[in-house]
Amino acid sequence: MLDADVEVDRREFTVRAALQVAPGERLALFGPSGAGKTTLLEVIAGLVLPRRGHIELGGRVLTSTAPRVRAVPPWQRRVGLLRQNPGLFPHLSVRDNLCYAPSASPSEAELSSLASLLGIDSLLAAMPARLSGGQAHRVALGRLLLARCDTLLLDEPYTGLDASLRRTLTHLVASLVAERSVPTILVTHELTDAQAFADRLAVLDRGTLLQVGAPDEVVLRPASRRVAELVGYLGFVPSGPTVAGVHPDRVIPGAFGDRGLVLTGTVTASRPAGAGWEADLRVGDTAVTCRLSDKPPASDSEFVVTIVDPPYFGSDGSRVGFAPASDSEAGTKQVRQLSLRRSRQNRPAWHRQETGATHPS
Amino acid sequence: MSAFVSVAGTGIIWLALLGPVIALFTHLSWHAITKSLTAPGALDPLLISVESGLVTLGVLFVICTPLAWTLARGKLPFPRVWETGVLCSLLLPPLVIGLLLVFLVGPYTPIGSLLAHLHQSATNTFLALVIAEVYESAPYYILGAQSAFAGVEPRLEQQAGLLGDRPRRVFRRVTLPLAAPGLAMSLSIAWARAMGAFGAVVIIAYNPMGIPLQIFTTLQETGLASALPYALVLLVVALPLPLAAYIWSARAGRRRRG
Repeated sequence: MLDADVEVDRREFTVRAALQVAPGERLALFGPSGAGKTTLLEVIAGLVLPRRGHIELGGRVLTSTAPRVRAVPPWQRRVGLLRQNPGLFPHLSVRDNLCYAPSASPSEAELSSLASLLGIDSLLAAMPARLSGGQAHRVALGRLLLARCDTLLLDEPYTGLDASLRRTLTHLVASLVAERSVPTILVTHELTDAQAFADRLAVLDRGTLLQVGAPDEVVLRPASRRVAELVGYLGFVPSGPTVAGVHPDRVIPGAFGDRGLVLTGTVTASRPAGAGWEADLRVGDTAVTCRLSDKPPASDSEFVVTIVDPPYFGSDGSRVGFAPASDSEAGTKQVRQLSLRRSRQNRPAWHRQETGATHPS
Repeated sequence: MSAFVSVAGTGIIWLALLGPVIALFTHLSWHAITKSLTAPGALDPLLISVESGLVTLGVLFVICTPLAWTLARGKLPFPRVWETGVLCSLLLPPLVIGLLLVFLVGPYTPIGSLLAHLHQSATNTFLALVIAEVYESAPYYILGAQSAFAGVEPRLEQQAGLLGDRPRRVFRRVTLPLAAPGLAMSLSIAWARAMGAFGAVVIIAYNPMGIPLQIFTTLQETGLASALPYALVLLVVALPLPLAAYIWSARAGRRRRG
């Protein structure tokens, strides 16, 4: 178990976070650039000393600031850190890089088995300069695995690699972590990477942990408007004292009042996106982006869409409830349906369809 | 056409730079070389220069390598002050260094007295020759070594530490091998400077006489033709190490590139 509760001063803000990661668990630390994610990893790795904090790994105290500052040096922590730059030693061959750690003394069979698992068995004699980005990451990962680290910290390791390679490496790391039962933290600002990898997602912004939960829960039930913004909600439609968060992927064409919030807007632009389409709608004074499987109507056309199960946020930015949806939790369900109708003056106006449900509070 | 002009221009500059070496070979005769170098005691200055040069290299490596590493890693307070100090010693004319060394290690200074107490002297002795050579060549080594260490990515050292290496082991397994080509080049340049040290040497270590002073005195006493063989000897002794270091660094670079 990795247990970290730390406060680290940075120039603009203080990073405060408490994280527990169980053996074999994969936690993704997600947030924008400069949120303090890497700082947290560096504190766990012992490269940065926190102002206050306590870090334990497998029952060993790595850092403690009370009653006095104690910190196990990085070389005794058994913490593996993989960064965007894999950090292979350029003067050593792949084989020597893999076996670099003093604790790594693999038998030839173990080495070839791992190399084969990582797909680098034909590269053992090569120098790092000859490797592609993906191969270098595999070697760096193998080096950490052979070092028998007690935890793995992955600091945006796949930035710069193409999508399919990222997916392959993500699955590879996930399976290896599960097999070896080490707590693992992935730092990323790509939500798709975080979702593909993690059992749990922690959202960090300006040094503060905003929400920790299952990846789907964080995305579908953001705890605050800020979390919603970070996980990809691109529109916030006013609704009385609250606003409804609109995630582009949670929009379906047509009016389905029983599934969420029905909006009528004007298409301002549309473009192909992946295998479908992306459309910008103007709903009142609010711009809403939605991704659709079919081509939306032409620009300036009226378009009715349903925002499936949107979260609602109060004026302080905290979540106050959800629209009804078949997969909503009964206990937290707050029901509201809104639709935008054109007024007689052809100006959009909010009109509430009362369904006997309660208003978010 | 433009390629021809650039090759021709580069060739002319290259020949101009090598002009003195070419002139040396065109004005030397085999007879003059054998006559000068077979005279009794003719090669003693060579031995003295090689010995003092090797001791100088040892001193530089042991004392200045940690300094260069510390400067490169910015671990000292007010790093610019330290760097300026090193630069000052590089910018001081060797003759001035010699004059000032008299006030630092001369017989009437505290260091001179201490040395006298130990039955040593830093005036006209082998020790004085080494001191003069160290002062003349140290800045070349320190600045070169600093640059070599600065070229080693600190994150690689950090990674080695996280993999379980203590700092000293990281230095031995990562920092030193990665900086080695640059260190070798700097050390060989320092060697060439030490072998050719004259300005400071002529002030505090006229004796024992090394090759540069041998050239100077021969030139004064018997003329240019007699001094040229010693100039050739100096080149033959001073240049192979830098050339070897250059070839070795190029090979190390090729090996890293796979």
